[in-house]
Amino acid sequence: MGLDPIRYKPWNGQRTEHAKRFLVITDHVFRQKLRSKWLLGIIILGSILVWVFPIIIFSLTPHDSLTTEVMLETLQNGLLFIFVLIAASLVCADLISEDLRGNSLVLYLYRALRPERYLLGKVLGALLVLSLFTFIPPIALGVAVMATQTGPDYLASMEVIGRTIIAAVLTTIFFVPVGVMLSSFTTKRTYAAVGIFMFFFTMTIVAGIFSESDINWQLLGPGNLLNYWYDIIFSEPLPQGLSLAGMALMTFVLIVPPVIVTYWRILSKGVGK
Amino acid sequence: MNDALRTVGQDDGEKVTGGTVSAKDVVMRYGNIMALDHLSMEIPTGIVGLLGPNGAGKSTFIKAVLGLVEPQGGTITVGGLDSRQNVLTIRDKVGYMPEHDCLVELMTGVELVSYFGMISGMSKNDSIPRSHEVLDFVGIGEERYRPISSYSTGMKQRVKLAQAIVHDPDLLFLDEPTNGMDPLGREEMLELIGRIAAGHKSILVSSHILQDMERVCEHVIIINNGRAVAQGSLKSLLGAQEGRMRLVARGIPEDLASFVKVLEREQRVISTSEEHGQVTVVLVLKGPSGELFAAAKNAGVQVRSLTSDLSTLEEVFIRSV
Repeated sequence: MGLDPIRYKPWNGQRTEHAKRFLVITDHVFRQKLRSKWLLGIIILGSILVWVFPIIIFSLTPHDSLTTEVMLETLQNGLLFIFVLIAASLVCADLISEDLRGNSLVLYLYRALRPERYLLGKVLGALLVLSLFTFIPPIALGVAVMATQTGPDYLASMEVIGRTIIAAVLTTIFFVPVGVMLSSFTTKRTYAAVGIFMFFFTMTIVAGIFSESDINWQLLGPGNLLNYWYDIIFSEPLPQGLSLAGMALMTFVLIVPPVIVTYWRILSKGVGK
Repeated sequence: MNDALRTVGQDDGEKVTGGTVSAKDVVMRYGNIMALDHLSMEIPTGIVGLLGPNGAGKSTFIKAVLGLVEPQGGTITVGGLDSRQNVLTIRDKVGYMPEHDCLVELMTGVELVSYFGMISGMSKNDSIPRSHEVLDFVGIGEERYRPISSYSTGMKQRVKLAQAIVHDPDLLFLDEPTNGMDPLGREEMLELIGRIAAGHKSILVSSHILQDMERVCEHVIIINNGRAVAQGSLKSLLGAQEGRMRLVARGIPEDLASFVKVLEREQRVISTSEEHGQVTVVLVLKGPSGELFAAAKNAGVQVRSLTSDLSTLEEVFIRSV
């Protein structure tokens, strides 16, 4: 190796704003994830099965306008849930666990970067990657169906696209908080990936078992919960006896506490070594 | 005051006054364990050694300066800025090389250094050439394009140093910088530290390898049980026992024996050793050195040298803790 006789040179450039530095992490996560062949494979396969076929079928089928039924049929398809779950497991698994495994968390946190911005950068990166499967394709489906409609009511189609955007945002966000939390619990990304998948899968099984006695047990299943939210977004009636408060509570439980727990984990692990 | 640190806070238009790092009565507890026990110290410019046994509070102190842990009491200022109120401003001007492995193994050396440069506020256009520059500086060649997982311990230490200096900090914390390095690598790391310090940087080095510290440090602070038990310039610490001299004299054994007897009578002799017709006496002079030379002449012995008796850093460390 050896040293060249180079003297230390100072750097006199302009620093970027503190508040924007989390975007560096977001950009890094996005680029790094797109290098993963497994993830790309899942996104491409899922897109073909979940989105490309409906785009072709609904565009070729004669239709007056884009209807909520078209979007609901696609969004409430069980395949979407399975592929989002697998993609979220792959995307979130190493978000924090890799930094814990290599102790690199301290390299972030000693810099002028607050823990919440570190977390924001990671989460935003994960959301951007997931949006390639959960946000862009449903909009593309809506636009494709609207572009091939025979009727004149484009306003109604636009309204459905608006509702689709809300549904797509919810789908994208839904799995990430728990995914990031489970990633912060381990230093092994495999454990994290399996943990994320099993968490949602087990919830679905438990919901299926107990929903015989009361329909509200269905809310434990993340797939059911998402489907009921799609019903609300597209102004479809909810099943009799389903509690709206229960839906809100379950959604809150899946999003807010995991973010708080992850933040606490980052704080405690960041200074632990 | 350190000119380099004068710029701390420039982003916020703040003016910096005061010393480099100053800690007053800092208290830090982890449950029942007192990590920092009313620690007070002044860290001047240049290369400063932070010494102490394991668990003495060195790493906790560094984390407190970086704002990674919040002390329960006392104040820490960096370049005159309070470490609690100006956390981000201070961190922009600080570089940290942790002791343990901390590199993202899937990244290449150049990716990692430029990535952390950008997180430290460098634009992409600045961080990429700068990371090549610092990797050249630390002696990482074409290996920079390989994943870090394939690096040797010495190369990882160099990359850790590179990520710490990529954003050109004014204050650098190096925690065990020569850890796990071979003798040549250690030598080069010390050379690098010296070169960085020559750029008007303040460098706080924490290490257990006292020979290394003795070679590069200008000042030393020794911590034990969360307190600073000794601090000052290396020169003053090594020669702390004021007036201790080391005398070497030659002569025939009888003359040397009578000379030593005179010395024991007239001076405060601490130790005497004789070897091959040469006697070495460590003593504290009670009067002018001329008396000593006169006694030597009377006894018929030749004084070969009379120098200050400096301790080694190891001796100072052991005495302090």
